[in-house]
Amino acid sequence: MATAEIEVPREALPTLEQANDDISRPIYAPSWRYYLLLAICGVGILAGGTAWAIQVKNGIGMAGINNPVSWGVYIVTFVFWVGIAHSGTLISAVLYLTRSGWRTTINRAAEAMTIFAVMTAGLFPLIHLGRVWYFYYLVPYPSTRLLWPNFRSPLVWDMFAIGTYFTISLVFWYLGLIPDLAVLRDKFTGVKKKIYGTLALGWQGSVKDWSHYRRLYLYLAGIATPLVLSVHSVVSWDFAMGIVPGWHSTIFAPYFVAGAIFSGVAMVITIMIPLRWAFGLEKYITKYHFDNMAKLLLFTSLIVGYAYALEFFLAWWVNDPIEKESFAWRAYGFYAGPFWIMVFCNVVVPMSLWFKRTRNSLAALFAVTIFVNIGMWYERFVIIVTSLAHEYEPGGWGIYVPSTTEILILIGSFAWFFFWFLLFSRTLPVISIAEVKEHLAHEHEHGH
Amino acid sequence: MSTVIEMSGILAHYDTLGATRAAIERLREAGHSDLDVFSPFPAPELEEAMGIESSPVRRWALIGGITGFATATALTGLTALAYPLVTQGKPILSWPAFFVIMFEMTILFTGLFGFAGVLFHTHRSRKRLSAGYREVFSVDRFGVYLRDAGANMSEIEALLQDTGAIEIEEVAA
Repeated sequence: MATAEIEVPREALPTLEQANDDISRPIYAPSWRYYLLLAICGVGILAGGTAWAIQVKNGIGMAGINNPVSWGVYIVTFVFWVGIAHSGTLISAVLYLTRSGWRTTINRAAEAMTIFAVMTAGLFPLIHLGRVWYFYYLVPYPSTRLLWPNFRSPLVWDMFAIGTYFTISLVFWYLGLIPDLAVLRDKFTGVKKKIYGTLALGWQGSVKDWSHYRRLYLYLAGIATPLVLSVHSVVSWDFAMGIVPGWHSTIFAPYFVAGAIFSGVAMVITIMIPLRWAFGLEKYITKYHFDNMAKLLLFTSLIVGYAYALEFFLAWWVNDPIEKESFAWRAYGFYAGPFWIMVFCNVVVPMSLWFKRTRNSLAALFAVTIFVNIGMWYERFVIIVTSLAHEYEPGGWGIYVPSTTEILILIGSFAWFFFWFLLFSRTLPVISIAEVKEHLAHEHEHGH
Repeated sequence: MSTVIEMSGILAHYDTLGATRAAIERLREAGHSDLDVFSPFPAPELEEAMGIESSPVRRWALIGGITGFATATALTGLTALAYPLVTQGKPILSWPAFFVIMFEMTILFTGLFGFAGVLFHTHRSRKRLSAGYREVFSVDRFGVYLRDAGANMSEIEALLQDTGAIEIEEVAA
């Protein structure tokens, strides 16, 4: 099995007790640096929140969106965060089903990232709504007017898909946490023991309980896999169901899913590199893990690059003048800048991952993932904005430039995401303790 | 530990999977099947040794999936019929479009029912941890707890000793 490739000699493997202590240590006493980071996030959230409050007061005109470009930074950022949310479930579910042992040390943080990313993404439809208090129109409830949501609408599908994704991801994450919460309950005393004990739901690691746990874990992995594919497909149909040139295409679902996994894996690496350093988890998250993630990144980059090329090929091949014009304008028109940033960040830069030297240098890998994060935000910008700005009638063409309000809310969304992640990293184990022990115990007993 | 109460249970600590497994097998051979075994991590080997075949959570998940699918079918179909307004040029009952909702709700209910199943089946122990549970069992030790050792306490103790127990305690039930 692949685990044999880990470059740690057997004698250096931590014992189960060491693993227990190493992983739960960050929960004890956060340093001032931690509070500083939290405060920076707090300022970001405040900035975004203020911008939003002003928008609610003055109206959606505070955003740069206009006619024809009625979807701007809010929807771009929504798709961006939904995309980020994808790798968590991919790593925990798909790699679990394929028995890829290397997921063990990264799945917890990736799943947490999924949940916080969905929480961030979920804000944007509300922000974009302008009159946020009408949100409940999307919820199927029996109203006195007998009016129900239009279940034929991709926007309603989207609400169901994202709602389900959030709930199932939360259940998946929480189920995996229960045994670790019991570990913390047994380590701590006083109030902490009470809190973790309550959250651990009386878990005592009885083999019978493990059998229920393992069964549900397998099922959740099994249902999360089609779910993760469906969620971004449904997001892509928000666009593909419209007859807008550049959107109305059957490749959208797989194209978006590949892009989502690509951006999600990039964000996992972006977060894991500093996290591993800050918490001293080098023994658990090794270069081997980063090498594997980098390969996944390279693979999805190739799919994304292929999809970019295919879009242009199809526009030329179907020989539809509107479609051809739309794509030519995308590459050489007003938004050529964002387009080439996208190509450079998502297709050119990741090609450096063919080299083992790049994959094994954490600094280089970190830099690549930053490029990918930026590139993937631009990808959504290019898809959404350039298509709307340049539809059929030249008289209906227009230009959109993000407003300060939108930029502040975008920054606020990053602060909000990292704020939750920071809270998580100091209150819950960032690596699954039970799974690491399972792995270590087998290493110690059988030596693999 | 109090000595006033009648001692009846016996608890052995182990530090390897293999020894724990051997102990379970030998205890079961000797006719003691009322066991509680504690493990710090999921161990299919131990489930096998204890003769646990499948978890009833399977049924919970199946019922959840069927419920979700049926609920979504009813929700989309009946509400469309209750207010039959043609939109997007599609028929009133547009099943291909509704299928997205049906798919999502099937998954949602499967997961939620399954989780409820896990809570239900581990519930007996939620209020208070088992008398045989020790905090080291969440760190690196396995515990084999026989609730009622009966009269042949010394015989069982010898068996546990023989299988490599690193610590043996008598536990008041």
